[in-house]
Amino acid sequence: MATILIVEDEIPINELLKRNLQSVGHTCICVFDGRAAIHELEQREVDLVLLDIMLPELDGYEVFRQIRGTPTIFLTAKSSLPDKVKGLTLGADDYLAKPFEMLELLARVDAVLRRTKKECRRFELDGVTIDFESRQVFLDGSPVECTPKEFALLEVLVNNRNIALSRDKLLELAWGFDYVGDTRTVDVHIQKLRKKLDMESRIKTVYKMGYRLEV
Amino acid sequence: MKYRTFMTTLALFLFSFHLGIVIISVTTFKDTVRRAEERSLSEHYFITSALIKDFQAVESRGTEIDGSLGSLLQPYSYLSGDKKVKLALYKGNQLVYSSGQELTGPSNIGEPPENGNRLVSIQKAEGRTYVMVSGKLPEPYEVYTLVYLFDTSEAITAWEQMKNMLFVAGLLLSCLFACGLLILLNRIFQPLAQISQTSRNIAAGAYETRLPVSGHDELSEMAQSFNHMAEEIQSQIHQLAKAAEQKQQFVDNLAHELRTPLTAIYGYAEYIQKVARTEEDKLFATNYIMSESRRLQNIAYRLLDLATLRENKLEQSRVRMEELVGGVERAMSIKAAERNVQIRYECRFDTLFCDPDLMHILLVNLIDNALKACHPGGLIQLVADLENGHQVIAVQDNGKGMTEEHLAHITEAFYRVDPSRSRAGGGAGLGLSLCQQIADNHGAKLSFSSEPGKGTTAKITFAIRS
Repeated sequence: MATILIVEDEIPINELLKRNLQSVGHTCICVFDGRAAIHELEQREVDLVLLDIMLPELDGYEVFRQIRGTPTIFLTAKSSLPDKVKGLTLGADDYLAKPFEMLELLARVDAVLRRTKKECRRFELDGVTIDFESRQVFLDGSPVECTPKEFALLEVLVNNRNIALSRDKLLELAWGFDYVGDTRTVDVHIQKLRKKLDMESRIKTVYKMGYRLEV
Repeated sequence: MKYRTFMTTLALFLFSFHLGIVIISVTTFKDTVRRAEERSLSEHYFITSALIKDFQAVESRGTEIDGSLGSLLQPYSYLSGDKKVKLALYKGNQLVYSSGQELTGPSNIGEPPENGNRLVSIQKAEGRTYVMVSGKLPEPYEVYTLVYLFDTSEAITAWEQMKNMLFVAGLLLSCLFACGLLILLNRIFQPLAQISQTSRNIAAGAYETRLPVSGHDELSEMAQSFNHMAEEIQSQIHQLAKAAEQKQQFVDNLAHELRTPLTAIYGYAEYIQKVARTEEDKLFATNYIMSESRRLQNIAYRLLDLATLRENKLEQSRVRMEELVGGVERAMSIKAAERNVQIRYECRFDTLFCDPDLMHILLVNLIDNALKACHPGGLIQLVADLENGHQVIAVQDNGKGMTEEHLAHITEAFYRVDPSRSRAGGGAGLGLSLCQQIADNHGAKLSFSSEPGKGTTAKITFAIRS
């Protein structure tokens, strides 16, 4: 997974971002001001920067100017249109206004990582290997047949691993917004995936919520 | 207005000017006629008296008068030499001599007044004007009537020419006057046009537009007061804009202030619901949810305080400074000890007329801010003193201080000196707004002075009570 630098001076928010990103498998570095962010970027390779705009020492725009090249998502309480336009015209990959939802954050992070090709396109767990490029799934080295919907569902679970996803959310993410169907469909597909990939203990049912892929 | 003034002035001028011309020509005409009559009368008299002598001489020679009338009167016809004079002599009603064939008089020409007076009249004939004097010869020749005609046509023509010339000149002068008047009015009304243009500009939003002020007349005075008005409007608009901007700033700040804790609360709740696996995780998340909720609560209370303060009346009383300062001391001593900051209290007057609870809040807030600014080992002084008769309470620290730019904004709600608006020092950013409101309620002035690195002084200056 990716290494993500979180630049946010509000400790609770910084911690929240870290925990969410870590739970889906990203590695996080937390800094609390602009100067530290630049220092950190000089020290090591980072796949993505989550950058708050109002920061002590150096503001987010200034930090962004100095770190050109690293994919960046601006993260801010400033949600006015001019602010968004400014952030995006500067060349940011995305712009996320507070308050945001965790899944939205993760989806945007995934989108940016996919776009910038920093995302690891393979995922391995126990004996299961998933190749997102060729859309193939292997169990102990031998290929497993998956329908397109099963693969899409698996991809959503993997991308949001450790996060409980409601049946509705899964339908929305794997089947698409316009899907009209029973949430039972999700249960059926989950059962199939569990069986095919021997993942009974990994894909957990969360009481009254939905499912979670625990890693 | 300009058009009306122009028309009225022009009409008045034309009327008086032409009335003048008429009066002059009438007087001149009368004068001309009078002189012609006088001349005619004197000539008539001269001729009559000369003729009497001639008649007597002719009679003494024993010759008939009637026969020699022609030769007797002949010389007088040439008296004037310019053929302007004509003579006629009537015997009874019969013309016995005439110096010109063309002479035609009125029918009653031979009947002058019986009383011996002479009759003077103006006669018009064949386009010419004559002064006619007729009178009987004195006794014993009263049967004869001498008629003297004096041709005044030339004088009349000259008068007519003069009259025409006067009117032509009058016309020319009137035109000149009209042009001059128009130019003058344009010049006079130009400032008015300028004013209306300027006021239109101001109405359209160009509040910085001003009228040029020149000279010391009424117009420049008006321009000055107009400019003054424009200045007032500009400053009022400026103030309104500033107030609106401050309100916007307040709303923005409030939104920001709410957004961060809300994001945290929502995020951690979501985290517990969907992610948290261990009890430790849950505890960690709930801790943040609680602390952020408390922050929101704090903001809500402070805003409520501000709102209440704005509406409520004060319960002022004479408070002993010892009690007031003592209360503040008790409230702050633990905090000060924690931060290792020393607070010194000094009172140089005994009582203060105020609302003790609010004044307590105000002082505690000021000292709290001073504490946040101080480094460990710092010193805060609360000094109550008299300055020019005003009661003044000053809270002075030797902390990090701030720039002029920040000083101007610190009493605005949610304003933070730190551009990142971080809550390292805690608080909702409403403390000084509260202080300002309390000071306002007391009719006191809250002022700050600061120097980066050297510390800040907050000063409450109370109004003098009568």
